[in-house]
Amino acid sequence: MTDATLGTGAVGTGTSDPVSTFERHRTELRASRRVWNLIALAVFMVALALSINISQFFPDRLATAFTRFFEYFGTITPNLEWDLLFEGRDENGRAVAGSITYWYTDFWDYMTLIGETILMAITATLIGTAFAFVLSFPAAANLAPNSAIYWVSRRFLELCRGVPEILLALVFVFAIGIGPLAGVMAIAIHSAGALGKLFAEVNENASNRPVEGITAAGGTWAQKMLYGVVPQVAPNFFSYAMLRFEINVRASSIIGFVGAGGIGAELNRVISFYSDDRVMAVLILIVVMVTIIDLISERIRLGFIGRENFA
Amino acid sequence: MSIAMLKAITPNDIVRAQADHPAAFSSRGRNLKLALRAIAFSYVCGSLWYFEVWKLLSPSELVRDFLRTIFVWQDMATWQYTNIYRGITETMAMAFLGTLLGTIGSLFVGFLAAKNVMTIAPIRQLVRRFLDVLRGIDQLVWGLVFVRAVGLGPLAGVLAIFISDLGTLSKLYSEAIENIDRKEVEGIKATGAGPFAVIRYGYIPQVLPVFISQSLYFWESNTRSATILGIVGAGGIGMIIIERFRAGLYDQVAFVVLNVLVIIFFIDWLSKRIRLWAIGEKQH
Repeated sequence: MTDATLGTGAVGTGTSDPVSTFERHRTELRASRRVWNLIALAVFMVALALSINISQFFPDRLATAFTRFFEYFGTITPNLEWDLLFEGRDENGRAVAGSITYWYTDFWDYMTLIGETILMAITATLIGTAFAFVLSFPAAANLAPNSAIYWVSRRFLELCRGVPEILLALVFVFAIGIGPLAGVMAIAIHSAGALGKLFAEVNENASNRPVEGITAAGGTWAQKMLYGVVPQVAPNFFSYAMLRFEINVRASSIIGFVGAGGIGAELNRVISFYSDDRVMAVLILIVVMVTIIDLISERIRLGFIGRENFA
Repeated sequence: MSIAMLKAITPNDIVRAQADHPAAFSSRGRNLKLALRAIAFSYVCGSLWYFEVWKLLSPSELVRDFLRTIFVWQDMATWQYTNIYRGITETMAMAFLGTLLGTIGSLFVGFLAAKNVMTIAPIRQLVRRFLDVLRGIDQLVWGLVFVRAVGLGPLAGVLAIFISDLGTLSKLYSEAIENIDRKEVEGIKATGAGPFAVIRYGYIPQVLPVFISQSLYFWESNTRSATILGIVGAGGIGMIIIERFRAGLYDQVAFVVLNVLVIIFFIDWLSKRIRLWAIGEKQH
C-alpha cells in the first residue's frame, strides 16, 4: 500500500481518519489506566520501602554480608593439595591432610544417610500417592458421589498440604520420637495433599463416556472409577507422582533439621557446630544426589508417556 | 447386541473365542501388573519395617495433651500478639523482597541461559550448571548458610530466598525466552526497527506475561517457605513457631499457623488479581 492510497482512504476531516481515531482511543485508554498505574506504583513503593526497612536490607549491612559470605565459603572449602590428593591412609590408619580421604573421612557414614534419605523419599512418595489416588475420586467435582463427601475430601486435602512438611515433622518427632519414620509420615501426608489436588484436577478433565458405559452395564461407583476413569488418567498420575518424588527427595534431605531422619540432621550438625570442609563435603553429596535423581526421574517420565504428551 | 443374543452365549463360545484370539486374552500384561504391585507393596512393607513403623502404635503420652491443647486455647490475653504479628510482617517482607530481587536477577541471568540469546555455548553451559547448583541446595540450607555468614535475622532469609529463586526463576525465564515465536521478531525487524526496538516490541511482549505470572507464583510459594525459614534462625514467623512449640505452648502454635494460612490465602488471591490486571484473562 502506497502513501497515495492511504491518503485517499482517509477521506474527510480528522475525526473519521482511522489513524487519528486510533490515536484518540489510545490516549483515552492510557489516561484511564494512568491513575491505576500510579496507585499501583505507590503501593509497590511503600511495600518495597517497608520490606527493606523490616529486613534491614541496607547497603552497609549488605557490603559486610557480601564479604562475610565469601569468607564463609573460604572456610568451608577444603585445603586440597595436588600431590597428596589420592594419598590413602598411612600404616596407623590416619588419613593425610590435604587428601580426598582426609576430606571425606566420614564418607560411608554420609552415604548411609544419603541412602536413608532416598529410601524415605521413595516410601513417602508411594504412601502419599496411594492416599492421593484414593482421595482424588471423591475430591473431583464430576465424580464425587455427593457434595458432602466432595467438600470433606477437598478440605481434608487442603489441610494436608497447607501445613508445611517441616512443621508436620516437628509434631511427629514430638509424638513418636526422633528417627526417619517421623520424616516419612510428614512427607507422605504433605504429598498426599499436594498430589490429591493435582490428581483431582486430572480426574475432572477425564471423559465421562467410559463412566456412562459402565453405569449402563450396572457397575458400582468403585467399578466406574476403576475401569472408567483410571485407564484415562493413569499416565498423568504417574508423571505427577514422579515429579513429586523429585520434590520429596529435596524435602527428605532437609527434614532432618528437626530430627526426622536422613542427611539433614548431619548437615544441620555440621553447619551449626563446625565451620570447616565437612560442610562442603555434605553439600556436594546432596547436590550430586538431587541431580542424579532428577536426571533418572526425567528419563523415566519421558520414556513412560512420551515427550509430546507431557504438558 | 440384544439381551437375547447375550443370553445365547454359552461357556463353549467363550472358550472358542479365547482360543481364536490368544493375544487379546494373554495373561502377560496382567501378570506384569500384578508383579509390579507386589514389588511396590512388599517394598513399602519392608521399608516401613526398616523405619520401625510400630512406633506409630505406641505414641508418647504427651500426644493426648498436645491434641487437647491445640484445640482448647487458654490464657489468650497473655499471647504477646505484637511479637506474633511482627513475625508475620517480617515473613511477608522477606518473601516480597526476596522474590523481587530474584526476579530482577533472573531477568539478566535468564537471558544468559537462553539458547537463542546467548549463542556462546561454553558461557551458557557454565551459567546453567551454576543455576543447577543454586537449585540443588534447598532454600532452608541456604538459610542456614546465610545465618552463619550474615547472622540471625530476616536479611539471611531474604538472601536465601533470593539465591534459590535466582536458580529456579532464571531457568523458567530462559525456557520462556527460548520458546518465543521468531516470526514476531522477524516482523519487527522487517519494519526496519533497531536492536532496542526489536527487544522492546519483539521479545518483551511475548515473554513478559510468562515472567509476571511465574514471579507472582513464586511470591506466593515464597511466603509459604518464608514461614519455615525462621526454624533455622533466618527471620520471620518460623522462629516464634519453633520457640513456642519447644516451650509446649501448642495452642499458640495452632493460632500462628492458622494466621499464616490466612495470610497465604490472601497472597494467593492478591497474586491472582494482579495477574488478571497485568496480563488479562489469558492463562499461563
